[in-house]
Amino acid sequence: MFRRTILSSVAAIALSAVALPLAAQDTLRIGVEGAYPPFSSKESDGTLVGFDIDIAKALCAEMQRECELVEQEWDGMIPALKARKFDAIVASMSITEERKRQIDFSDKYYKTPARLVASKDADFEGTPEGLAGKRIGVQRGATHQCYAEKLFPDAEIVLYGSQDEVFRDLALGRVDAQLSDSLIAQESFLSAEAGADYAFLGGDHTDVECYGEGVGIAVRKGEDALREDLSKAIAAIRENGTYAEINDTYFPFDIYGGRPEGE
Amino acid sequence: MNLLLEYQSQLIDGTIMTIKLALTSLVIALIFGLLGAWAKLSANRLAQRLAGAYTTIVRGVPDLVLILLVFFGGQVTLNNIGAITGLWGYVEVSQFAAGAGTIGVIFGAYFTETFRGAIMAIPRGQIEAGISCGMRKSLIFRHIIWPQMVRFALPGFTNNWLVQLKTTALVSVIGLQDLVYNAFTAGRSTGQLFTFMAAAFVIYLLLTGVSDLLLRSVERHYNRGVVRA
Repeated sequence: MFRRTILSSVAAIALSAVALPLAAQDTLRIGVEGAYPPFSSKESDGTLVGFDIDIAKALCAEMQRECELVEQEWDGMIPALKARKFDAIVASMSITEERKRQIDFSDKYYKTPARLVASKDADFEGTPEGLAGKRIGVQRGATHQCYAEKLFPDAEIVLYGSQDEVFRDLALGRVDAQLSDSLIAQESFLSAEAGADYAFLGGDHTDVECYGEGVGIAVRKGEDALREDLSKAIAAIRENGTYAEINDTYFPFDIYGGRPEGE
Repeated sequence: MNLLLEYQSQLIDGTIMTIKLALTSLVIALIFGLLGAWAKLSANRLAQRLAGAYTTIVRGVPDLVLILLVFFGGQVTLNNIGAITGLWGYVEVSQFAAGAGTIGVIFGAYFTETFRGAIMAIPRGQIEAGISCGMRKSLIFRHIIWPQMVRFALPGFTNNWLVQLKTTALVSVIGLQDLVYNAFTAGRSTGQLFTFMAAAFVIYLLLTGVSDLLLRSVERHYNRGVVRA
């Protein structure tokens, strides 16, 4: 009796572990996150909202495919993709060399450009010539420091440990301008009290060497048809205005960040 | 506070998931624990070795590693076997089964040791006395071993259970929406991470507090007639 109980519960566990094979071909399953506002977050009733979520839905509509959004915690995102829990990731995942060894990416669907920020009444321009001899604050590291040193060889580059310190010293007037991610500058400085007298200086900076290729949609290696379909769909919603509509719901400027390389 | 009320359904759903996971994995752990203790104490060499390997391996590997291995590795392996043999197509390992199963198997190893120690604490002479009175094995188990084993095992059981309840938080990595996961997403979504983590803290404390109370009354029940030194 005892033995039979154990056997049947083991069998039950085994059966529930091996659910029925899914018709993985028809529905496109997309892995999304729920804890990265404004790109993805959760309403109090559990509904997923955000830029990534809207983009995923728009791409599905564009590709005319049935989609299912699968919520996945960030740390397990790539393993879950590889284990076929879903077929694509739309979760603000930056295209990096390290990730490309494991998975493939579509063309970028956004790349928040870097921008300079300076006082509203700055009497210089955001060009290499305009900033010659000026002090530019950047966060130390592979991205903004790399680009600042490359583009502004005649300026004095002041390095900081964190982006907060850069903003603070800009507000104190210790540097003439700062270079950072435009979205971060907007959200945590320009729209705050400390940044009231400051504004963006010049346009977008999207250098691939220092800033990478942007944020793409991840698919498993070898899924070239899906990858190309997604890239085409991104181009299509850029073209037909759907992207702009979604973008404007969340951001005060276009976060697509210029055209991809080679266009 | 208003935010917590607004997101209360998320917190309640998460708490229910945490309790479900903890109880399911407890049942699995008890089955594995009893089997393991039986195997370790049996005269059968093979059973001893198998149980020894089980407790050594499981207790020697971080819980998170095992969960990820079963959930992701298990599914990849299953699908690869299916693809090579052609026996099945795509199969999906359910998150709940992987989470509860893995935690159950992990804590089964700890319960094995708890039960083994408890059985060994029963004076051998009592069992011999039972045999000499002509009691059958099943009778000896029911009247001599079980009541005392439970009594000796309860403190260790309580300990294991509390750790197990908290270990369920690891499953948020495999996408199960337990208390920690829901509190985290709600906290990040509203920008009030601290508020929701504090709420999760209180809920966990309530869960462990209630189980502590319940287990203490069980302990009193099994200690009837025992005079404490």
